[in-house]
Amino acid sequence: MGAFILSRLFRALVVLVSTVTVVFIVLRISGDAAQQMLPDTASPEALTAFRAKWGLDRSIFEQYLIYVSNALQGDFGTSYADGREVFVIVSERIPKTLLLTVSAFILSIALGIPAGILAAVRRESPVDKGVMAGAVLGYSVPNFLLGLVFVFVFAVWLRILPSSGSSTWSHMILPVATFALFNAAGIARFMRSTLIDVLGQPYISAARADGIPNWEIILFHALPNAAIPMITTLGFTAGGLLGGAVLIEPVFAWPGLGSGFVAATSSGDLAVVQAMILLFTAFMVTINLTVDVLYAVLNPKIRMQ
Amino acid sequence: MEDAHRFREEDMPRLLTVQDLVVEMPGRNIKILNGVSFSLDTGQTLGLVGESGCGKSMTCYAIGNMLPHGLAQTGGSVDLSSNATPSKAGKPKISMIFQDPTSSLNPVHTIGYYLESALHRHQGLKGSDARMEAMRLLERVGIDRVKSRLRSYPHQFSGGMNQRVMIAHALAAKPELLIADEPTTALDVTMQAQILHLLEELKAETGMALIIVSHDLGVIARLADEAAVMYCGKIVETAPVEDLLARPAHPYARALIDCMPSIDASDLEPPVPIPGSVPLLDCLPHGCYFHPRCSRASSQCTAQFPSSAIVGPAHQAACYHPVAA
Repeated sequence: MGAFILSRLFRALVVLVSTVTVVFIVLRISGDAAQQMLPDTASPEALTAFRAKWGLDRSIFEQYLIYVSNALQGDFGTSYADGREVFVIVSERIPKTLLLTVSAFILSIALGIPAGILAAVRRESPVDKGVMAGAVLGYSVPNFLLGLVFVFVFAVWLRILPSSGSSTWSHMILPVATFALFNAAGIARFMRSTLIDVLGQPYISAARADGIPNWEIILFHALPNAAIPMITTLGFTAGGLLGGAVLIEPVFAWPGLGSGFVAATSSGDLAVVQAMILLFTAFMVTINLTVDVLYAVLNPKIRMQ
Repeated sequence: MEDAHRFREEDMPRLLTVQDLVVEMPGRNIKILNGVSFSLDTGQTLGLVGESGCGKSMTCYAIGNMLPHGLAQTGGSVDLSSNATPSKAGKPKISMIFQDPTSSLNPVHTIGYYLESALHRHQGLKGSDARMEAMRLLERVGIDRVKSRLRSYPHQFSGGMNQRVMIAHALAAKPELLIADEPTTALDVTMQAQILHLLEELKAETGMALIIVSHDLGVIARLADEAAVMYCGKIVETAPVEDLLARPAHPYARALIDCMPSIDASDLEPPVPIPGSVPLLDCLPHGCYFHPRCSRASSQCTAQFPSSAIVGPAHQAACYHPVAA
């Protein structure tokens, strides 16, 4: 188990370094940050001065070496836009995004898993059809659109919830609901099909033949098996959380990494974009690592190898 | 002896009586089992034989009350009554073992969990008592180093070992009837012989009744006292097993025997395949289901399904033109 985790950690490190490298190069050859940051009327001298200030006039290789050596010392540079340290800018947004995404993730599991189990156990019943109709609806509506619908209904029309900001608990309700309903729909659909597949396995028929009560079969015989593919889907869902944040946060003006990333990208604030992508990658790599470890914990076939 | 036999016949209920069992797909007019009847006494072994899809396994599932999703028993009855323990309330216990032992064992549970939870459920054993009994059962079915095996998972065992584990699990229920659905089909030949031998021993030891399903007449001949030949959801012939092999009455039974390869040096005749294939259950031929594949078929056979008739001692066949002995 120790060697397993160690090899996965090494792999994670390789992914992290390669992503940072590719993103660094692509960001610098895809456009001129000086022209993006400065107004159209800026003089050539101003552009040159801007490039010299941020080291953009050096070769990409040199810039890269400087960036990596600074980053290794915990210095992710300064924002081109307001001159604050990138580390500060990014870290003050992290809690906001975590609050939003983690609550949404927990809520989507709390809704999606029981709904999927119920649909699978009561297969073909009205309960199943209702759950699945809801899931297809939730899954086919793009989540930013769902967000806009929620804003319209609850903030503009009914006027019972705030539409934007993050100052109170009630500000969380709409973005979390938007996020969670979309994810819960996907989780419920996958939970249902996985559990139906497991319930059709010979070992479940064998357990039934042995007279084990139905709830015990579902809880102790089917779900531990269904959990293995479920982990993959939950990993994807968790990995999609930050991508979702990029779409949903701007809708609700939620001051997290998502809206920060959108703002930094459109203004050409390379240092901030770069640091956020590094953070997103680290997040993704951590999730994949967790999924791999959970696989080994849940699946004796992997654990025994 | 004769008297005792008569007493049992007349006054004691038989261990298992299956009467006119019908299993259908509700909503669609497809009869998976169409009036299956037979009975079984304690200590007796019945062999169910027939081609794939004839309803052998479905008969077992109906008896074990574990029909797959989408199928339902719509007629007839399955009655179990205990002779061995008349004072004890409740139905006699049935255990089942299956064709593919490895996929019939839950991959996330250890062998120990599997056996100990069954022992807890059926015998109320817990903790070290359950563990000791699980080890005893594993030893009984011929598995060595039992202590470490309890911590193993099914994927670490061969198919033959897993079938032994399934048998040990079946024994944990102290069954009066063991249903073995193609127990050796997925195993290699030497393993087959060992498993059959084990079943023979256990039957003699425990006195349980056994229903063995196989498409292999050799397996049936070795284990069964009585044999029932099934075709398209019906039993077409029942007989004591030696009688069936020596004097099959139904042309289908005859054909099944003829297509068995022989390794007897004096028998150089090649096996004869049965022409055609088993009809689909939603387009069964009118009359006798076997007539399109039968060389003895007459116009009578296409008109109505023949009822079962006595063709010898304890020997019945549903055929208008039984093969002469």
